[in-house]
Amino acid sequence: MSKPHPDGAAAEDQTGRFVTQPNGRPRPLSPHMQIWRWHVTMAASILFRVTIGAASVGAVLVTAWLGAVAFGPGAHAAVTGFMGSPPGLLIGFGLTVVLFSFFLNGARHTINDTGNGLTPKTSNLLSWISVIGPVVLAAGFWAALMGAPA
Amino acid sequence: MSAHRYREGVKVSERHGAVEWLTERAALVALLPLSLWVASSAFTLAGADHAAVMGWFARPLNTGLSVATIMILSVYAGLAWKVIIEDYIHRPSSKTFLMALSNLTFLLLTATAVFFIVRLHVGSAPLPAGFGI
Repeated sequence: MSKPHPDGAAAEDQTGRFVTQPNGRPRPLSPHMQIWRWHVTMAASILFRVTIGAASVGAVLVTAWLGAVAFGPGAHAAVTGFMGSPPGLLIGFGLTVVLFSFFLNGARHTINDTGNGLTPKTSNLLSWISVIGPVVLAAGFWAALMGAPA
Repeated sequence: MSAHRYREGVKVSERHGAVEWLTERAALVALLPLSLWVASSAFTLAGADHAAVMGWFARPLNTGLSVATIMILSVYAGLAWKVIIEDYIHRPSSKTFLMALSNLTFLLLTATAVFFIVRLHVGSAPLPAGFGI
């Protein structure tokens, strides 16, 4: 039941510049990063999507760790040893950044979903907290962990 | 394209979308305190030896919250990936394939994690015990 529309080429477009709506008319694609002028609210928004993607990978890694524990002390010790090495610590730090990003950016998203915090001043502040906060909290987490008695 | 179906004057697809939106919001609200609990658990378990980790999972609260976290995260991340795929993939066959792949991945991930967590909780012998290998 699609109607003819002015730009027939858009319907065949696979370059990603246009999509065809259910009424048969073309519309430009959803916002892509290169279309928007940089702003911190945009950065917080796309970083939340990145965070969810990274959290999905994190869930796989945590499940692998659960598996190592389930396979016994030998496998668990191997994973613990790797996590103490430089690449392991880098992964560990990244996972805590993702975790705190999920918390802070998720809180921002939830506040905005209730219709609050949408004035330019507040949305900028919440976005800056969501972008910078995770790194600060992760640094604090690791400082406390390294400083804690073994 | 099939005609839109209506129920009580509202498009069925719109009701479906509203339910998905509410599910996303409810899951995210549940995950916020859980993420702080995960951070505190990671702090406790980082560098802990095997016996200490087994002792941690022996506590019902830790097991229950672990299972809740992986289940709610999978529901939330599955819906989030659906939105991301819908936004950036426009070839219908690719879209269907990727969504099925995403749902299957999170289903398998949840099942695997719950399987391990339950074994740790009941203190099963190290794998592959019980599989006759």
